[in-house]
Amino acid sequence: MNRKQQFKEGLITNNPVLVQQIGMCATMAITTTLFNGVGMGLSVLIILTCCNVVVAALRKIIPDEIRLAIFVVVIAGFVTIVDLLLQAFIPALSAALGVFIPLIVVNCIIIGRAEAFCQKNSVKDSFFDGIFQGLGYTCVLVIMCVFRELVGSGRFGGGLIDIANGFRFTLDGTGGGIQIFPSEYGMSIMNLPFGGFLTLGLLIGLMQYALKRSEKNRKEAERAAAEAAALKEVDD
Amino acid sequence: MLQNIISISLGAILINNFIFSQFLGCCPFLGCSNKVDTATGMGLAVVFVMGLASAICWVIDHYILIPLNLAFLETLAFILVIAALVQFVEMFLKKAVPSLYSALGIYLPLITTNCAVLGVVLLNVQNNYNFIESLTYGITGGLGFMLAIVLFASVRERVQFSEYPECFEGFPICLVSAALVAMAFMGFSGMKIF
Amino acid sequence: MNNKIVKLALVLFLICAVTAGILGVVNALTYDRIYQMKHQKEFEAYAAVLESSSGYTETDFDKAAFPTVDSVQKSNDGNGYVVVSTFSGAQGSITMACGVGTDLKCTGISIIEHSETSGLGAVAASSSEAGVAFREQFVGQDGGIALSKAGGSIDALAGATITSTAVTNATATSIACVAALG
Repeated sequence: MNRKQQFKEGLITNNPVLVQQIGMCATMAITTTLFNGVGMGLSVLIILTCCNVVVAALRKIIPDEIRLAIFVVVIAGFVTIVDLLLQAFIPALSAALGVFIPLIVVNCIIIGRAEAFCQKNSVKDSFFDGIFQGLGYTCVLVIMCVFRELVGSGRFGGGLIDIANGFRFTLDGTGGGIQIFPSEYGMSIMNLPFGGFLTLGLLIGLMQYALKRSEKNRKEAERAAAEAAALKEVDD
Repeated sequence: MLQNIISISLGAILINNFIFSQFLGCCPFLGCSNKVDTATGMGLAVVFVMGLASAICWVIDHYILIPLNLAFLETLAFILVIAALVQFVEMFLKKAVPSLYSALGIYLPLITTNCAVLGVVLLNVQNNYNFIESLTYGITGGLGFMLAIVLFASVRERVQFSEYPECFEGFPICLVSAALVAMAFMGFSGMKIF
Repeated sequence: MNNKIVKLALVLFLICAVTAGILGVVNALTYDRIYQMKHQKEFEAYAAVLESSSGYTETDFDKAAFPTVDSVQKSNDGNGYVVVSTFSGAQGSITMACGVGTDLKCTGISIIEHSETSGLGAVAASSSEAGVAFREQFVGQDGGIALSKAGGSIDALAGATITSTAVTNATATSIACVAALG
């Protein structure tokens, strides 16, 4: 299987949030600071990759009738492991994401990939699928966080970046971020649920526009090529 | 006690509505809100399953997992209980109440992956609710979901006839209208009963 | 037919058992650390609101009269108490430690857990300038503490009146609770 193709699918043409339109709850709920977005994205990436590998490895021995139940058990297992590790080592992230970490269990991205991809493909392909789909998800979260944080409170990288004592990354979620304009001028409604719905709506709209545009361009290019070929034939 | 229950109910239905302020259950919310009829069916099924799941999971948590020091298995146990419960309810309704089954039938399997159901169970644990409070939170949370989805379905039926940019076709326009409904629900956020 | 069901059940059971086993191991490895992390936060909060060189001891209080109070910690130095209370804010519950000196004046507050809106109510708990300034106002306040618009001297956080009111009221409750200890 072509890695480049898989990469492009995960990030753009078959992006889990923007194109498949699944896993939206967390996407809208936690994207208020970059810290949350990156943390959630990476957690999903890790869980997705692990589940993909395990499901692909077990695909021959999983009976078809109970495959969904088994997927759910495997997913819940990995989610709990990540949950416990976060509580132990990055408690700030665990506190910020709250119930949305255990809720990764019912995130359709993971069960969807298990059902649609890993059942039919090798362990290696599933591994890369997990990474690329996870990256695609993380990218969407990061874009939403950056936008909402900037418009909502005039900041960039809240929780993750601290510039009070020189530039550094904070893994405990205490960084104040880079203030681009004073937060009093921000639209704090973007930090509220309204902003989540609106940002995701605009983002998917933009994506559909871009996809349609590129489709149109491709068709036009094809037509131009066909015409050129036809002209050439006439010439000959 | 009664005061607690009223404040939980109002919180779950209006102030901290599952969809518009906690983002739980967005997938079925957007997927099943094409028509008011389907939205009502989905809403009813969710109320039913959320209420049952809260009660059963509370019992399992307090009488099996906590005494055995297995609280770390909560997520795993809850999702299995919910999946089994949904299957069981489906079979039961099919035999016992066929009319209700034909109304809810197609929505039931979808509920397993509805994060509002697992969400309410986990929130019950997080908030340390007792049995009655958990049950109340489950049922009223479901009612909040139903209110949101039915309201939104009526909005969506109207959106279909309005003009919007072509690239917003489908999900994006839904999300933008949901944003506006969410803004309306923000009006409840300052409400305090007691 | 029966054989098949048994086989399915066996496979499912095996997978569940393996998963539960792995989770058990992970839990055993992380349990101590999680416990420590959770309590470290509380101890840090105690120390932040009321310094004590010799630690704190839990003290009994009148739970019926002060239902929002979780625990009262007496400073072993004898310079006051730390009251931990959980009450509802704008979004969910807030857990806060409030130091109360022997003169029944607040020695500081620290928010341990909250789910307030980021950028609005959450400022009350943040380490930002506005957050620190907000919490500084509580130091030295007595039982008559109130927001400036209610005639007191605490300026509410911009856009977060509910959170500010809740924190102010909780401080008043904490002081009252210590006063009731006698």
